[in-house]
Amino acid sequence: MGESMKIRKLLLALLILVFARVGLAQELKKEFIEPQAQDARSTAVKVKGGTMLFLAGHTASQPRPDADLGNFEAQFKATFDKIGVTLAKAGGGFDDIVSMGVFLTDLRYIPQFTKLAKEIFKKGFPAITYVEVSHLARPQSLMEIQPIAVLP
Amino acid sequence: MMKFSTRIVFALALFILPTSATAQEREMVLPVPQSAYSQAVKVKGGTLVFLSGVGPVNEKGELQAPGDYRGQVRATWENMRRIMAKAGGSLDDIVTMTVYTTERRWGEIFTDMRKDVFQTGYPSSAFMEARKLKTPGAMIEIQAIAVLKD
Repeated sequence: MGESMKIRKLLLALLILVFARVGLAQELKKEFIEPQAQDARSTAVKVKGGTMLFLAGHTASQPRPDADLGNFEAQFKATFDKIGVTLAKAGGGFDDIVSMGVFLTDLRYIPQFTKLAKEIFKKGFPAITYVEVSHLARPQSLMEIQPIAVLP
Repeated sequence: MMKFSTRIVFALALFILPTSATAQEREMVLPVPQSAYSQAVKVKGGTLVFLSGVGPVNEKGELQAPGDYRGQVRATWENMRRIMAKAGGSLDDIVTMTVYTTERRWGEIFTDMRKDVFQTGYPSSAFMEARKLKTPGAMIEIQAIAVLKD
């Protein structure tokens, strides 16, 4: 009687362990290393668990052709609208972005980019790499953004 | 009877416990040692670290080794080392990187210097010329992803 109780307790403990493991495997842990609020970015983002989403380079293009006006803010909004659509389709949102390659035709847009990015990210800033390039795929494009997201 | 049940419990425990510590598996696919990179790196398990572009700057963001490519590369790896340590890992945990340089012809200098950076295998890598980098005067910036062992 005493022994079977012991075994039952052991089995229960094992069962709890199994469920704890399943729980741990699903839980997403995210840590922002050296976040710099003034630059809307973190030096690094550490992530455990979750589902990875690798996005293509996104630019301002259809369905917002009106955004291609050489206006940086309009292109930013159109670009992030498209990123938002892609993220939503995959079951995520802007705050799931952990890293972004930001390709600009002129790095003097960085302060404007930072200002606009602060409104996008509410829970922490992703790792960002800014690079100035001579050309993007479309002549009117001022920016192309290549994000990586980790969905819960 | 009691012993048999106990055995079952232990057998179950043996089955569950080893898998609860998620080991990391890593394989460098088609390494290219003369240029210190691999065509691919295959990884299973572990914790991901996404690094922002790292360049040759000090803690205040001031440019180091102006005009000196080798000096800038060294300063960049020093920064990477510091960030990786802060994330709880080391440079050997880097699995992939995109290297932006303001002159494509510096590629060989870069890959030659990279040979000393990695001890346990080379990450995958892309190398390209950028017109400008974030810090004025910077000749190199590296964007990397690392996977830490749990």
